[in-house]
Amino acid sequence: MFRNQYDNDVVTWSPQGRIYQIEYAMEAVKQGSATVGVKNKTHAVLVAVKRKPSELSSHRRKVFDIDTHVCMSISGLTSDARSLARFLRSECTSSKWAFDEPLPVGRLVSALGEKLQRCTQFWSRRPFGVGLLLAGYDASGPHIYEVQPSANYFDCKSMAIGARSQSARTYLERQMTAIADSDRAGLIRHALLALRECLPSEAELTSENVTVAIVGKDEPCNILRDEAVQPYLDTLENDMDTDA
Amino acid sequence: MDGLVDRSNPDWVSAEHKTGTTIMAVEFADGVVIGADSRTTTGAYVANRVTDKLTKLTDYIYCCRSGSAADTQAIADIVRYYLELHSVEIDEEPRVGVAASIFREFCYNNRDQLTAGIICAGFDEHKGGQVYSIPLGGLVVRQPFAIGGSGSTFLYGHCDSTFKEGMAKDECLTFVRNALALAMSRDGSSGGVIRTAVITKDGVERDVVLGDALPTFYQG
Amino acid sequence: MSSIGTGYDLSVQTFSPAGRVFQIEYAQKAVDNSSTVIALRGKDGVVFAAENTIASKLHEAKTTRRVATIDRHIGLAYCGFVTDGRSVANEARSYATRFRDLYGHPMPVSKLNDELSGYFHMLTLYGAARPCGCSVLLGAYDAAKGPQMYMIEPSGVSWGYYGCALGKNKQPAHAEIEKLKLSEMTCKELVKEAARIIYATHDESKDKDFELELAWVCADSNGQFEHVPEELHKEAESFAQTSMEEDSDEEDDSDEDED
Repeated sequence: MFRNQYDNDVVTWSPQGRIYQIEYAMEAVKQGSATVGVKNKTHAVLVAVKRKPSELSSHRRKVFDIDTHVCMSISGLTSDARSLARFLRSECTSSKWAFDEPLPVGRLVSALGEKLQRCTQFWSRRPFGVGLLLAGYDASGPHIYEVQPSANYFDCKSMAIGARSQSARTYLERQMTAIADSDRAGLIRHALLALRECLPSEAELTSENVTVAIVGKDEPCNILRDEAVQPYLDTLENDMDTDA
Repeated sequence: MDGLVDRSNPDWVSAEHKTGTTIMAVEFADGVVIGADSRTTTGAYVANRVTDKLTKLTDYIYCCRSGSAADTQAIADIVRYYLELHSVEIDEEPRVGVAASIFREFCYNNRDQLTAGIICAGFDEHKGGQVYSIPLGGLVVRQPFAIGGSGSTFLYGHCDSTFKEGMAKDECLTFVRNALALAMSRDGSSGGVIRTAVITKDGVERDVVLGDALPTFYQG
Repeated sequence: MSSIGTGYDLSVQTFSPAGRVFQIEYAQKAVDNSSTVIALRGKDGVVFAAENTIASKLHEAKTTRRVATIDRHIGLAYCGFVTDGRSVANEARSYATRFRDLYGHPMPVSKLNDELSGYFHMLTLYGAARPCGCSVLLGAYDAAKGPQMYMIEPSGVSWGYYGCALGKNKQPAHAEIEKLKLSEMTCKELVKEAARIIYATHDESKDKDFELELAWVCADSNGQFEHVPEELHKEAESFAQTSMEEDSDEEDDSDEDED
């Protein structure tokens, strides 16, 4: 791999006006397994494939609950994600305490953005090496946000991040209107179909390696693992004719 | 009674200097009239009979001090410094509200350690003549007229019945002088001369009414 | 470039033998690579316009905004790293709030400009931070002082402006701005011109798709900073699009005759 003089730290500009360390941190997101977020008019859904480091270990966690109205899935360094989850939870809690209502997702994300930005401008800490998808439901409806290590964030219709996620994004772009108009079950199905696009050829979605999280109108953050996922995986087998 | 007083340790040796005081300010169409008595006491001892309690902050903003002389002098000094810096930074004559707000900052934050009751008054281009009262806890409130200090307790009824909206400058001066004279004759910690100042867009006119020329009322 | 490989361009704490600090110049590059932001100062206020690129079809509309409210009466637009811009906006908000708390009245934009350029400059001095990868435009309007506008560069340098363009297409945008009689125009007129300039300087073949962002602080908005009302935004955008079409029909610059 080629090295240059300007990629040692986050406080050095390259002659082209780039910060390589931020760009490298963005690469960490692509190392993690894929995760997909979608929403319709009432719900937001996250799905993720879990990897396990060895046959003897359990699967690595991909989805974190933040508050009753927000959950998050991650791709990249899990340990970095844990500390961010902690931050997000405490933001939600203190806001709830102060205003006696759930923190709007957009505000939560901008608070996170502010925290992440500091690591991209000051020398004390490296940037976080993890990309996030946040699914939430608040007064303005369901939301999917993508948050990057660069501290940039986007309000998304749907999004996929992580390894081989480009094919999922292609699926999501193609199915954009179908997803927006789908019902709850259809939404989860679309998410799983998009996620399936990201798998290497020999791998499959199973109830062990998939996590599904749902949050929406009258449905507090609900994270499904193991057997609870199976019914949704089963829907992938049926009526494949609807979309292709 | 005499037997109870400890003659070897009179209170004026250890007591704090207090501007046990009467201060007052009134808004009128073109500016403000402010006034104060001139007595500073240390316990029962009159430490200064011709004190100036009308303290300049800027060319157009004054404050009337009551409470601990040391505290109020120190705060007025700090506020004057802040206003000077502020006016340089924004390249404008400071507003009266700004002065009051800075008083609040110090009086409120240090309310447990301070004995300071201040009336801040003056003129600015934005709101004309303004009177702000900053009593003991660090509250700030704008009033058409304000009274303060120990003597003011004797004055509320008089002022409420005498004050009229839209008085002219001279009426305001008379209102202030009469009120102060009344308080000075009833409050043991107020007395001396009456100092007044009129602040308008043209600057400050100061005046003094000496002890032998004070307005007189029922003397019984 | 004489800077690369000399070793004099690796830290803000290093001067080159010619007395330049290359790290600051590199930060300026981040601004020059960005999509366009302009601000125009008319007779009754300041108008901001930004060409916000759409990075993905999956993004919701308006997800990236580059004009922020600092206080009710002050607007700030940033060009360069969006993330740096947001953090500068937060810094500016804290200055404006602190001023209000201490002095009890809104912060004059000239004072905010002083403090914020001080912040930019501070980031060019120490090894523990990097210069901001963004320039910011500040604007405010009040009846007594009229419209005011400033631009701060990553170096911390700042000046007052009548019109200013930042980003990749700043040269052609600047040329367009110079044709306007800014001090005679109202913000209602300037909003349209600003939209037109953003559309005119956007290169369909090279640049990504974009969303137009328009904001103002002026007499019509009661001295409050806000995004321009929906209706006016649409009007300005269609004005911009039609003048683009006319332009390509006529094949020469007949900008003057259009209004």
